[in-house]
Formats: sequence, structure tokens, C-alpha cells
Amino acid sequence: MLTQIKKLFGVKEGGLLLVIFALGALLSFFSGTVRLPVFAVGPEGVRQRVFLTNETGERVPAMVEKNKFLNTQNLAQLAKDTSFIAIMAVGMSVVIIAGGIDLSVGSIYALASVLGALVLQYYGPGGAGANAPPWCGVGLGALACVGVAALCGLINGSLIVALRVHPFIITLGAMAILRGVAFVVTKGQSVGGFPPLFRELIRFETSGGLSLVPLAVMLLVLVVGGGFLSRLAAGRRVYAIGGNELASRFSGIRVERVKLGIYFLSGLAAGVAALIALGYYGSASSGDGQGYELNVIAAAVVGGASLTGGKGTALGAVLGALIIQMISSGIVILGIDQNYSQIIIGSVVIAAVVLDNINTWLAQRRLAAR
Amino acid sequence: MKHLFILAAGVALALSGRAAERTLTIGLVAKSQGNPVFQAARVGAIDAAKELGAKHGYEIKIDWRTPNEEDAQKQAEAIEQLVLSGAAGISVSCSDANKLTDAINSAVKNGVPVATFDSDAPASARFVTYGVDDIECGKQTMEELAKIMKGKGVVAILAGNQNAPNLQKRVQGAKLVAAQYPGITIREVYYHKETPQDAAAKVEQVMQANPDITGWCMIGGWPLFTDNALKWAPGTVQCVSVDALPAQLAYIRSGHVPVLLAQQCYEWGHRTVELLFEKIVLKKDPPAVKEISALIPVTKDNVEAFAKNWDKWLPK
Repeated sequence: MLTQIKKLFGVKEGGLLLVIFALGALLSFFSGTVRLPVFAVGPEGVRQRVFLTNETGERVPAMVEKNKFLNTQNLAQLAKDTSFIAIMAVGMSVVIIAGGIDLSVGSIYALASVLGALVLQYYGPGGAGANAPPWCGVGLGALACVGVAALCGLINGSLIVALRVHPFIITLGAMAILRGVAFVVTKGQSVGGFPPLFRELIRFETSGGLSLVPLAVMLLVLVVGGGFLSRLAAGRRVYAIGGNELASRFSGIRVERVKLGIYFLSGLAAGVAALIALGYYGSASSGDGQGYELNVIAAAVVGGASLTGGKGTALGAVLGALIIQMISSGIVILGIDQNYSQIIIGSVVIAAVVLDNINTWLAQRRLAAR
Repeated sequence: MKHLFILAAGVALALSGRAAERTLTIGLVAKSQGNPVFQAARVGAIDAAKELGAKHGYEIKIDWRTPNEEDAQKQAEAIEQLVLSGAAGISVSCSDANKLTDAINSAVKNGVPVATFDSDAPASARFVTYGVDDIECGKQTMEELAKIMKGKGVVAILAGNQNAPNLQKRVQGAKLVAAQYPGITIREVYYHKETPQDAAAKVEQVMQANPDITGWCMIGGWPLFTDNALKWAPGTVQCVSVDALPAQLAYIRSGHVPVLLAQQCYEWGHRTVELLFEKIVLKKDPPAVKEISALIPVTKDNVEAFAKNWDKWLPK
């Protein structure tokens, strides 16, 4: 057991895991309990509230007392809230590892959302294409959402490579342009009314009432992103460029091609996050995702990605997003006055990075001692 | 060491959040932290909690969970978290009605009643909504401006966040009234980030580019939170604005703005907490799903009397 724990904390993200366990333990201990209604699947297969008859013959809803943090509903909620930022953070990590930055992810998220939403609305119950097969509308909507996002990423990459301008400038410009396009397309209106099949797919609930699709997609993105970075030669090229672009060029790596690819992946990740949010929340507007670029960059950096390039992992990005979300949810669970939330989040983010750095330093010392 | 342990145990017990028998938590989710109108709503909610608590022997806690900047997705997450952390009721002003409908419905399904204020989610299962009739608000603002401008001139509409459905309705109302005055031309509807500085900068930019504008119809009074937003001599360009917070009242006193239309933002919090308490504890439903609050015109004649209200309405 001790050896397993040692192994766990010996991995690159050991410090982050330690922070997550510590936060989880603190929240479980201090959160207290909450009385939640009891649900059961009725004879018609519909999940409904359970009622009991009390001593006075009155029908009252059945309630169960649970730990405020450590209960399945809350953990599923935490995973869902983490997933949108975590998915984008995996894409952002790839960009940061290569020494780049993508400030347009929030706007790509917004544009992909609204264009996907317009297609889905067209095939929705009130749209002109309502009579088309439901899978057709859902497929086209998903394709529009993810495809537009990937295309935006590709355009970002092309401009960075072709114009040889710093990615900060190109993606800063793209941030404004793409949000502007989203506004022009929607005229500032919220777009909703999607095919029920799409909503049911994304909001699919287990018999316990848990929405696990966002979590499943996040895990899938983590596996694909992690596999790409650590198992494929293309992923190793990303690290090489971030470590030393000139040396990579001289060693025969096609730097421009890799750069195109990383911005494409960042856009693609934003598109996947937008698609999941679209299905979960059921509408999109041009104001969606404002400020998300900073949350996504923060998640990647807390997760160990170095802004100077050459360092970071997909798992770290997801754990970084989870830490930030745990703090945010913890503030609600502990009933801490929201006036202090930004101070707490900022402090814990710095503490998490420091702890992770200490862990890395200790690991390096252990390695040097061998 | 023993003392330290006892102290730690005491702190743990104090933080464990075990509620007393007659306590209840009401979640308050406004659109954004930085907007003073929502801070007034927060004070209203806290006051209502104190008054109702004293009257009925309850300890009522207001759990304020508002995004720093407008973000409907964060609002939906806040509603879901409030339900899971045991809130007995929730009052919310919706940044995007479509996006919040499922979260509100899910809260109601979990036995947590939801009231909306300021900006409604009409397709949701909320049991009541409290606020102005937005189309009427836009109409009233333009009507006051048209009267002051004697029915002629070039008007700019300042409209804040382009995604807020309530503001869009106000713009619609303002345009409807403007259409009744052949002498009035709407130059454009100008949107901006809902911060005082951004709004003031927008007014400045628009006036630079369109010096012929003779009237501003502000369906939200964001620029008037700064003290130098209207850079013209009083009376040369007319302006009527929604909201009458302390900083905005200075423009009435200086003569730059003849009429402010005050929303009852303190009541957004106060009234919805009352309605929620009645629903949760007294098992009483409101007479109607929609409860309209009137706009209060503030002019030079009543500005000082109105200003006194803010001593009570703003956080100390």
C-alpha cells in the first residue's frame, strides 16, 4: 500500500494529486451534511421523488442526509462543471507546451456554440428542418460546432505561420473578430430549441440521476490528448519545439506544420467543449465563454504547463482544471462569503503551483541521489 | 497539545455547518457582482431575511452566488450547486433565459422553489417573477426623452449587454415609442460591456463620431456611475436614463439628466425573499406568476428625498 502511494506521488502530477486529495479531505470534513430528496424509478420507468406518510397521516417527501461534498450527486456535478474548461485546457496545454498561446479559445467556443446552435435550431421542433430524421440534425449540428472550431484553430495557426507574427497578437485579434462574428450571426439573440435527441444524448442520466456524459467526454479527450503527447512522435515534436524551436528546426522537424497542428487541436478542443455545453445547457449566445481563455490558461499552468514551453501534460491540465473547480465549488459548499472567493481561488492556485514545484524538485533530488 | 486538539475540534464543529432546527438558506444569484443595482438587491434580500426571521422565529441565511461578470453558464452551475448544498429556495436574475431554464427546472424538481427578478426565464418552472415590464420600461424612457426633446432630434440608444433579453425588450419598447414621433430619428443602438468605464467610453466615442446627436435614451444607466460621462453643457444634449443610484443622482443635480427612472432594485432582493419565504414556510403561492414593479421617476424636485433611500439600500 505504502509503495503504491509512493508510486502515485512519484508521477509527474503527484503534487497535483496531493493537492486534490487534501482539498477533498478538507471539504469532506468541514462541509457538514445536507438533506437531499430521495428519488426512485417508478413503474413507468420515470425517475420521481419518493413520498412517505408521517405520524399525522400527512404525505411528506422522503429526505436523506448526506455529506455535502462527498456524495455522488456533488461529485458528478463537480466533474461536469470541470469538464468544459478541462477539455479546452488539454488543447491549450498542447499549444503552451509548443511555446505558443491561444487567447481566442473563449471566442472560438462562442462562435462554435452559436453556429452549431443555429444548425441544431433549424432541425429542432420549431425549425424548418423539423421533419428531417433526428440523427441528421444532431450530426450536422455537431459537425458544424466542432468543424467551425477546428477551422478557426487552423486559420489561427496559418496566420501565425504565414505572417510570422507572435501567436499572442494573432489570437488576440481572433478573439475579438470571432466574438464579433458570433454577435453578427445571432444579432445578440440567444439561440435555443434543439432536437430533443441531442439534449437527451448529452443530458443522459444514470438511474441515480447523474449526468455523466460531460465527464465521459472529458476522460476521452484526456486519453486522446495524453496518448498524443506521450505516445506519438507528433507529440514528442511538440515538446521539442517548445524546448528549443531552432534546434528542432535544425534537427529536421517541420516546425510550421507542427504549429498548424497545435492550433488546430486547440480549436478542436474548444469545439468539443462547446458541443457538450450546448447539449447540456440547451442554448448559445455570442456572450458565451467570455474570459474562459484565462481560466483555461490558468488550468493548464496550474497543471504544470510551462509558459516558456517544453513542459506540461494532458493529465496535468485536467487536474489543474479540477483543482480550480474544487475551490470554486468548495466556497459554495462551505458557505464562505462570495466576496472572498477571488482571493481564495487566487491564493490556492498559487499554493497548488508551489506545492507541485516542490514535489518536482524533490523528485529531481531523489533521481540525482540514485 | 491537548488544548490544540480541543480547539481544532471546536473549529471543526463550528465549521461543520450543522443547521439549527429552524434555519433556512435562500440562494441569491444575480447577473454580476460589480453592478451596484445587484448589490442593492443583495441588501434587500438580507434585510428581508432579518425581518422575516425575527417575525417568524427563523434564522434565514442569504447565500449570494453571483458571477463576477455576466455568465449564464456560471449562473446555471451556481443554481445546481445551491441545490446540492441544501438551499431551501433560490432567487435569480437570468443572464440568458434559455440557458438557465433546465437548471431552474432541475431545482424545482428537487423541491427547491425558484423566483426570478429583473430578468425572467418565462419557459421555466419558476413560481414567480418580479421586476419591471421591460417593453414598458423602454417605452417610458423614450416617452420621457421625447417629451423633453419636444418630439424632435437625433437619438442614440445605449443598451449594455447585447445578449440580455430584458435589455433587448427595452430597446424594442423604446423603438416603438420613437416610431410615433416623426421628428425623432434613432441614430443607432449602442452596446457595450456593462462596466461604467466601458459605457462612458462608448458615449464619448459615439459623440465624437456623431456630434449631431441631441438625445440619449439610456435603457440602463451604466455611464452615469462615473462622474464625467456626459461631456456637454447641461441642456445641450438631453438624456433620460433607467436607474437612479447615488452616483447617478449627481447628473440630476447638475442638470445634465432631467429624469432618471428608478428601478426598485432593493425590492428585487427584498420582495423575492418574501415570496420565497411565503412559498416555503407559509405554503402560500403568490396571486400571479408575474409581479410588476413600477419605475419611479426621479427629477430635481424629488432627488434629495429619493437619495435618502440609499442610506438603507446600499451595503454598509
